[in-house]
Amino acid sequence: VIRPVFRAPLLVLGFVALATGVGAGLARLGAQVPDAMSGFAAWHGVLMAAGFFGVVISLERAVAINRAWAYLAPLATGIGTLALIVGSPSIAAALMLAGSGVMLAATLDVVRRQRALFTITLALATLAWVVANALWLYGQPMHVIAQWSLAFLVLTIAGERLELSRLLPPSAAARAAFAAIVTLLAFALVAAQWAWGPRVYGAALLALAIWLVKQDIARRTIRASGLTRFIAVCLLSGYVWLAIGGTLALVAGLSPGTPAYDAAIHAIALGFVFSMVFGHAPIIFPAVMRVKVPYSAAFYGPLLVLHASLVVRLAGDALASIALTRTGGWLNALALVAFIAGTAAAVLRGRARVA
Amino acid sequence: VLADESVVRDALSEVDDPEAGMNIVDLGLIYAVDVTEGAVRVDMTMTSPACPVADVITEQVHDAVTRVVPAGTDVSVRLVWDPIWNPSMMSGVAKDHFGWGE
Repeated sequence: VIRPVFRAPLLVLGFVALATGVGAGLARLGAQVPDAMSGFAAWHGVLMAAGFFGVVISLERAVAINRAWAYLAPLATGIGTLALIVGSPSIAAALMLAGSGVMLAATLDVVRRQRALFTITLALATLAWVVANALWLYGQPMHVIAQWSLAFLVLTIAGERLELSRLLPPSAAARAAFAAIVTLLAFALVAAQWAWGPRVYGAALLALAIWLVKQDIARRTIRASGLTRFIAVCLLSGYVWLAIGGTLALVAGLSPGTPAYDAAIHAIALGFVFSMVFGHAPIIFPAVMRVKVPYSAAFYGPLLVLHASLVVRLAGDALASIALTRTGGWLNALALVAFIAGTAAAVLRGRARVA
Repeated sequence: VLADESVVRDALSEVDDPEAGMNIVDLGLIYAVDVTEGAVRVDMTMTSPACPVADVITEQVHDAVTRVVPAGTDVSVRLVWDPIWNPSMMSGVAKDHFGWGE
């Protein structure tokens, strides 16, 4: 419906949010970044979760359901990013709420086509993002919004993995366990303002990580080769970070401003979520932009940097060394730059091959 | 000129789902191959309605079939959602691969 050439500007808006969001994140760690970025330190989470992932995931959903109106989701969200950048956060929140609402409608269209545990999970994930944006619009604290935003990302991935786990269908008990974990996570979100809420949240994420490790076909596809194996490595290594993040939240709660908070949030958002992105970009990027991203063993490079950089960051958190955490942050950014450069190089290789 | 259906099916089994590391025929995604005079029509599905790669896969299927049928054959690939795919549609080879019955 919407040709790739018109999808590109939407994706660009997503990457504007990513670049600004990463700069804002570094500014939060006290790094010297351009003023244009450090001014957004307070909006780091919004830029990453809504500005980048909101645009990318809602764009992917629009491509999947093949309806023109569904593209309003990444469009509104992306314009929301621009509103935030020019200094109108309440307009940004309203636009992103509208964008997430459209994405919810698109996801409910998926549920209408196939009513299944995995499609319902995708709808719940999107609902979590709608709530996150609504809480933001109504001035709720960022650390509460962060939990809803992370749930959007985590449940989206969980729903997609549940779908693929059907290649070796989970038992009735395993499916019930999945539903129970999602319910527990939803319960924890509602309880986010109490001290114990984030601990339940952590427990739910830890349980989800264990479920995914046990049920994901990645355990089998890691024996394959090429891209299939690379994706499996991304998935399984991501689950380790989800388990670490969940455990940290379970043990230490999610008190904003503490090293444990930095460690837990970034284990989940960078270690788990970005591992998925690295693994699936070679499939999703061609689907959205209709270019080829041929696999290369070099794809492992950015993934290694990502994991190593998180180890550095969490070591800094553990030692309460802001300098080490900041170094980890710079290396996190390097991993993302390496990933984008690697993907761009693969696109060029794909073009050369066609020509 | 009539295209050879078994040749078409062989060509289809060259198209892989990269995530699963398995070809689309063994995954049970091909619902029908209809060979008529001067035309081949393939009906196929995806494992999920939330899957954004449908266009990429149907294009690969179109190209794979076009390569093996007589020049000038009209190749069309339809994406269908009825019936909805389910795991029992996978071949024995695919089920063994993913560890059914282990």
